[in-house]
Amino acid sequence: MLTVEQVSRSFGSVVAVRDVSFSLPTGQTLGLLGPNGAGKTTTMRIVLGIYAPDRGTVRWAGAPIGAATRKRLGYLPEERGLYGRMRVHEQIVYFARLHGVGPADAAASARRWIAQLGIEEYANRPCSELSKGNQQKVQLACAAAHGPELLILDEPFSGLDPVNAQMVLGAIEGLRRTGTTLVLSSHQMWQIENSCDRFCIIADGAVRAAGTLAELRAGVPERVVRVAPNTAPTRAVLDRVGQFDAIIAGELHYRLPADSDFAVLLRDLVAVAPITHFEPIPPSLSAMYLRAIGSAEMEASIP
Amino acid sequence: MNTFALVFGAEFARKIRSRPFLVGTVAGMISIALLVLAPAFFARALRTSSSSIVLAGPPALRARAADLLRGGYDVVAQRDALPMPFTAAQLDGDHKAAAAIVLGAERRRLRIDVYARDLSQVGEGLERTLEPLQLELATGADLAGVARLTNPDLHTHAVDSRFADADAAELAHGIAFALIFVLYLSIIITSQSVMASVAEEKTSRIAEVLVATISPVRLLAGKVTAAGALGLAQITLWGVTGLALAPLGLGGMLDNTRAASPHVPLTLVALPTVGIFLAFFVLGFVQFATLYAAAASLISRTEDLGSVATPVILPVVGAFFLAQYASVAPNAPVSVIASFVPFVSPFVMFTRSTISNVPPLQLALALTINVAAAYACFNLAGKVYRVGLLMYGKLPSLAQVVAAVRS
Repeated sequence: MLTVEQVSRSFGSVVAVRDVSFSLPTGQTLGLLGPNGAGKTTTMRIVLGIYAPDRGTVRWAGAPIGAATRKRLGYLPEERGLYGRMRVHEQIVYFARLHGVGPADAAASARRWIAQLGIEEYANRPCSELSKGNQQKVQLACAAAHGPELLILDEPFSGLDPVNAQMVLGAIEGLRRTGTTLVLSSHQMWQIENSCDRFCIIADGAVRAAGTLAELRAGVPERVVRVAPNTAPTRAVLDRVGQFDAIIAGELHYRLPADSDFAVLLRDLVAVAPITHFEPIPPSLSAMYLRAIGSAEMEASIP
Repeated sequence: MNTFALVFGAEFARKIRSRPFLVGTVAGMISIALLVLAPAFFARALRTSSSSIVLAGPPALRARAADLLRGGYDVVAQRDALPMPFTAAQLDGDHKAAAAIVLGAERRRLRIDVYARDLSQVGEGLERTLEPLQLELATGADLAGVARLTNPDLHTHAVDSRFADADAAELAHGIAFALIFVLYLSIIITSQSVMASVAEEKTSRIAEVLVATISPVRLLAGKVTAAGALGLAQITLWGVTGLALAPLGLGGMLDNTRAASPHVPLTLVALPTVGIFLAFFVLGFVQFATLYAAAASLISRTEDLGSVATPVILPVVGAFFLAQYASVAPNAPVSVIASFVPFVSPFVMFTRSTISNVPPLQLALALTINVAAAYACFNLAGKVYRVGLLMYGKLPSLAQVVAAVRS
């Protein structure tokens, strides 16, 4: 279990993170979300022990993050780099060995990752000769080749084309299946919505929302319902219980309180018109993210 | 294998394969070869071009003059008299000699007529060399008698010196200079290597992964040690090249000067010095190299290396010059004080201890101060390195660095 409790960290007069708390059971995946400058990277660095928090604690498997614990962690930073003159296989082996893996195991792991990421033909080439996408694959292999218990991936899809992004997503899914605990950040919500068990949305250095997708949804007071056809009687029924939102592709979109009785609503609609489509839509991760960030901005704008 | 050894091995392997290292090593070897061989080559060229002479005059006078000239001139031919008018073609006929010298004695005075293409090359030196012959003619004493009359009976007695004679003292000065130069060169070469390596990791953003994995202090230690080992390997290679070619170069010089080689066994002077040198080498190297690494960790672009390199390289140059001063005045107050000042001390105290009798207490104090300074530098550099590796953007001011280290 990764436990982050009341963690704060400032740089001079700038408060980077403030009372950040979340927990992540072993083997689960956490999506750390937030706009640029929200404090995601600082939070990740604190979890990794790169920064010491001013206040609060970070524990992995019940123990504070120390030199021994760090060997069991893996990290793919947002800004990535490789030793240009070092060969691909050699580079992966080097990083695995820095984490305490023996020479033979490190070499075997490097071979496995090279095969999994489809870069066999580059295994003995200097990294500087690889394309950006392939370099990013090597970096992922460097972060994961030692078999970390907890792997932290900061924007793992940034700069990747759709094919390579899919391949990296496949590798992440593979790590999930083997029980690796993952913390990953991304701006591409659609890519991580189905890959994460839990989410933590950070803005202005503070946690705005945290929990499973269901828990996050439970915190949203509205639902959107899509109804077709767009007729006057239909609108009249909907206007009584909700607020008009939009008409998209001929379908009415209305916002209703989350605790609305949708079965009763459907019965009332059917009673006034022949309904061809009725669909209450659960809020997407993107919508919940924007809502959390938006409320933060609104709060910040109040003098 | 621990992380220090891993970083050391990887750093060493990466650097030794790098083009700048290979080119620098080969270029250095070629330069050393040229430095060793060129003087001998030029000495030979000078000997054949400016020191070869034709000697003419009465046989008895010629024979005694030839003895006196043997040290600095090559008498390629002797004649009773020169054909007149004398021309350059006749010099060419006598092994392309530089000059012809005609000796004569008139009323107990030596007369010397010089015929040369370039009179600036033969003249005052010749007059001084043949001075004993003039005295012989004037006094009637033989050359040995003249030597007794003109040379005082000099006896030297070393007081408060670790050397039995002038040759040993001179050799010690040479060794001190050579080893201080090795230290200077190691630090200058290594500084470039350490800074380039840190800058590469910082600018290519590998640093963040590294500090997330291992202690920055171990990373720093592995890096500095690898750079030091490479620098030493490079200098050793250059030294071996120089020593291997020295007989060729020195042989040429000795042929020219006909000087006797020093009779002092090198090991007797060098052995006690080696231990002290190694201690000061390691301590001085750690002080400078760790600061170079810390300075390089502050930059975000390799173009900024120059702006952080200059302030930390200047003290090395200053220390080298202070060591030169100490070699002339080892017990002057400036030399004694500088022996205890970190960064400068390894240069100055080593020089003083090699060429003079430094009290053991002073030596122990200097070593203690340097151990403390190296430890402090390493810790300070480790802290700057840790925060510097994660600082990006404009080059931070000293105040910002201090604030970051404190936080």
